[in-house]
Amino acid sequence: MKLTVFNGSPRGKKSNTAILLEHFLKGFMETEGNSYELEYIVNNKDVGELVEMFKDANNVILAFPLYTGCMSGIVKSFVESLKPLYGKQDNPSVGFMVQGGFPEAYQSRFVERYLEKLAKRLNCQYLGCIVKGGIEGIQGKPQFMTQKFFYYFYELGKVYGKSGKFDEEMLKNLAKPEHLSVLGRLFYKFARLTGMANIHWNKQLKENKAFEKRFDRPFT
Amino acid sequence: MKITILNGNSDNRKFDDYRNNLVKMLKLSDNSVAHFKLKEMEIRHCRGCFGCWLKTPGQCIYKDDSHAICREVINSDFVLFAAPLVMGFPSAVLKIAMDKLIPLLLPYIELVDNKECHHEKRYDKEYPLIGLLIEKGDDTDSEDIEIVSDIFVRFAIDFRTSSRFVMQTDIPVQEVSDEINRI
Ligand SMILES: Cc1cc2nc3c(=O)[nH]c(=O)nc-3n(C[C@H](O)[C@H](O)[C@H](O)COP(=O)(O)O)c2cc1C
Repeated sequence: MKLTVFNGSPRGKKSNTAILLEHFLKGFMETEGNSYELEYIVNNKDVGELVEMFKDANNVILAFPLYTGCMSGIVKSFVESLKPLYGKQDNPSVGFMVQGGFPEAYQSRFVERYLEKLAKRLNCQYLGCIVKGGIEGIQGKPQFMTQKFFYYFYELGKVYGKSGKFDEEMLKNLAKPEHLSVLGRLFYKFARLTGMANIHWNKQLKENKAFEKRFDRPFT
Repeated sequence: MKITILNGNSDNRKFDDYRNNLVKMLKLSDNSVAHFKLKEMEIRHCRGCFGCWLKTPGQCIYKDDSHAICREVINSDFVLFAAPLVMGFPSAVLKIAMDKLIPLLLPYIELVDNKECHHEKRYDKEYPLIGLLIEKGDDTDSEDIEIVSDIFVRFAIDFRTSSRFVMQTDIPVQEVSDEINRI
């Protein structure tokens, strides 16, 4: 199976999207004969090239971070550039991967509906959407906190590499929490009250010597 | 009332005329209107660096036109987002500008309605109410409108405000203007 992957993160190679894709693709490559090409939307000056890649592909995965509740501006630009492929009969199958900073998968469910419709628009077979919240900050997290869901990405990739499909049950398990549970809410309240939730940000603010300015309101 | 219009027109004369009429009408009924034609402005797309929270808190580290937009938006009573639908969604030009509003928030997260995580407001005031004006494309159906409206409501929650309407340019301009004047 040949796969074409688009990483839609504005952070390009240094993105969380890249890390999750790495695990997914490792699983994907477990099936002999599989191969992929990976392109970064943000690096690409020539949109025509990306469109060509999409057009020539049999199987596409588009992965991106959630930006203000949907796709970012650059991913929307990419989607707009696909307009010439409208109505073609042999467009690739597409699957999506959306991840966000907030913990709840629910926050990505709205753009998921858009993506499913987009696949329909382009006459693409729709494989589904991998959704995961709570991803901001993973790059500094200890292994024991990330290994479980990294493994899910690997497994999802492995099944996809074999069958060309996303496993529904795995998607559901990976997405947890879909909403915050009562306990989850308590945890977030507690973390906020104690300042625990802010450590991640405050550490960086201090490193940047901007901690005193963190509440600045430059526009009033 | 102070109104800001973020106009994400990609390439569409009819939409331009509609919106210009709307601006005229709103001014006639004593509103002050700041009208940004996003396509003609210099707005670098968000790089996801969080510098607007962690380096130069409250503003994008790049001195582009997003500063002027943030200033108008946060001092408005109402913000109208306007764009044609392209591939079933408001234009990328508009979305690029919307991404650049996150300096109006803080990095810190709180539970909204005791339910969902969202960022805290940076400014200690009511955030402007928002509305969306869209022009349908040839391929737009009612499902698209529903999806776009639902995503817009999510955007409103992220920006700690609420969406007043999603309207389409196939109704008379007067109706949109009246709707805004009722806010
Ligand atoms: C402009 C902007 C808007 C964002 N909006 C959301 C959002 O609405 N919901 C969310 O969960 N995370 C949001 N995030 C956080 C990113 O989705 C999160 O940091 C993600 O892990 C970044 O992935 P990347 O490194 O692959 O770009 C936003 C980040 C930025 C910069």
